[in-house]
Amino acid sequence: MKGVKKLRGIEQLKNHYGHMFTLPWLIGIIIFFIIPLIQSVWYSFAKISVVENGIETKFIGIDNYKQILEADPNYTKWLSSGITSFFYTLPLIILVSMVLAMLLNQKFVGRLFFRALYFLPVIIASGVVMTLIFQTTSSDMGSMGVSDTYTSNMFSVNDIIGWLQVDGKVAEYVILVINKIFDLVWQSGIQTVLFLAGLQSIPSSLYEASKVEGATKWEEFWFITFPMLSQVTLLVAVFTMVEIMTNTRSTIISNIYKMMSSGVYDETSAMIWFYFLVGGGLMALVLFLYNRFLMKRWE
Amino acid sequence: MKESIIKSSVVDKSKLKRGGKTAIGLVYSLFRLIILLSIGFIIMYPLFYMIVTSFQSKYAFLNSTRVWIPSDTAIVKNYKVAIDCLDYGKALLSTLKNEISSALLQVVSCAVAAYGFARFNFRGKKPMIFILFLTILVPDMILIIPRMVNFSHLDFLGIFGLINKLTGIDLRLNVLNTSWTFWLPALFGVGLRSGILIYIYMQFFRGLPRELEEAAWVDGAGPIKTFLAIAVPSSGVAILTVTVFSLIWHWNDSLLCGIYLTNDFPLAMTLKDIETTIGIKYNMLVNYTNPEAMAYLMAGCVLFVMPMLIVYIILQRWFIESIDRVGITG
Repeated sequence: MKGVKKLRGIEQLKNHYGHMFTLPWLIGIIIFFIIPLIQSVWYSFAKISVVENGIETKFIGIDNYKQILEADPNYTKWLSSGITSFFYTLPLIILVSMVLAMLLNQKFVGRLFFRALYFLPVIIASGVVMTLIFQTTSSDMGSMGVSDTYTSNMFSVNDIIGWLQVDGKVAEYVILVINKIFDLVWQSGIQTVLFLAGLQSIPSSLYEASKVEGATKWEEFWFITFPMLSQVTLLVAVFTMVEIMTNTRSTIISNIYKMMSSGVYDETSAMIWFYFLVGGGLMALVLFLYNRFLMKRWE
Repeated sequence: MKESIIKSSVVDKSKLKRGGKTAIGLVYSLFRLIILLSIGFIIMYPLFYMIVTSFQSKYAFLNSTRVWIPSDTAIVKNYKVAIDCLDYGKALLSTLKNEISSALLQVVSCAVAAYGFARFNFRGKKPMIFILFLTILVPDMILIIPRMVNFSHLDFLGIFGLINKLTGIDLRLNVLNTSWTFWLPALFGVGLRSGILIYIYMQFFRGLPRELEEAAWVDGAGPIKTFLAIAVPSSGVAILTVTVFSLIWHWNDSLLCGIYLTNDFPLAMTLKDIETTIGIKYNMLVNYTNPEAMAYLMAGCVLFVMPMLIVYIILQRWFIESIDRVGITG
């Protein structure tokens, strides 16, 4: 009895040290995260004028939001383009990175080389370089273009689509996807890494058991790999959604950033908050659907 | 023990496969190789393009066979111009001073916080973990303007402001345009993408066996000593992963420094503006019809990417292994 009590005392003392380890972080979080977060909400409802040392704020209610949604002709356009890209990029990045990870997880000669190669985008896929390369190569370039013309020439997508006589909207989507292949592969670096780590953690005994039971490759994927990756998929989905929404190359972010740099603080605060409320809603929707339809199935 | 059994079974399996190579298996591995190579090509293409273009001279467009092997080269001149436009030496120094130093600071400060979260149960842990995930979700764009305003009157929780109101002495410093704007958040473990770094550490520390730490505890080592002598030495993989990510993200950051600094920009920022700089300094428009300007631009990109690429080539063996073992996905 006494021993238990003593142990509890140690546990309590130990847990006190938890505060010690996390205290600097807590202070930092309050100064550099929570306070700025509240200030940012305040700014979005205020009129900001830059004065000699700092800024002056005056509460004006929802005028900033009214301004960006009704008076500003560009904002809604940027917003809709941001949301569209969200919907087609998210499933594609997850798909591409999952397939890449599964390829890299197999045993073959030169696997280490390919792994090193496939992680390269994680290293150099910086916003700045990507913008410079893809801007100058995709939009202006003729036969040398990377993103647009290059892939469609390479696979002659238009011909195939014309030949198959698919529906116009579907064809549009297919072309969009193929044109984005470069972009996609370059964006799914970290996701591939995460999936690969997830694949490595699946115990091989499961596969052996399924082999004994005579499962096909497809069944193996659908009943073992995919369910075992459900946690990782969730992590990847969240990470990808945040990445897509904060991608500095997207129209909306780059334009807001430009306005910010030129000193418009009140309207841009409202713009970002509205954008991220919409984005947060989308994220919640995706996570809800994922839980409802996929996680439930496996339980 | 367990691992070795698993390993031996894997080896056996692969041996079996290699022994029983069928036609379908052969076709499949050929198919796989083609896919791997074509995706490898997609990944390498922009890099090749960058390097080849950075070599070309202004007469390059007269020669149509120049796509892969540059025929008219002006390497030295291109790179000289690019170094000049990027202000390479000064910008590199600024990157080291502002970004790399805070990247390394974060490696330490995030480990401390993550150890606290992973090993101890304390009051208020749950809401703190919730806030940690919030920091991953909330983008820097929302915080950047208020932070800038606060940095112009640096104040710790309103204490200095109170002193100012009571006594009239203004202790609040303007740290904008100094390295403190990067160092301070990094020091507290709330810098660039610190949430993800803490999360990686946390998952790793949770996976470490408790026994060693408990033994040290029984032997009378305090929490700090346990952390430094037991936890840190056995988490090399996690430290490597976090260091690489932290370095890359800081190296590539052009969002924060564009707002916090007004001169003496780091490399990512000078690269971002390189099109304008080329336009001003050499009086030319950067687009695809001007091979000379494109060469300068791509030389700038190569110069920017190269240091990180070298770091990656040196570290890649350990880095790729460490990612498998660090257990990010928990």
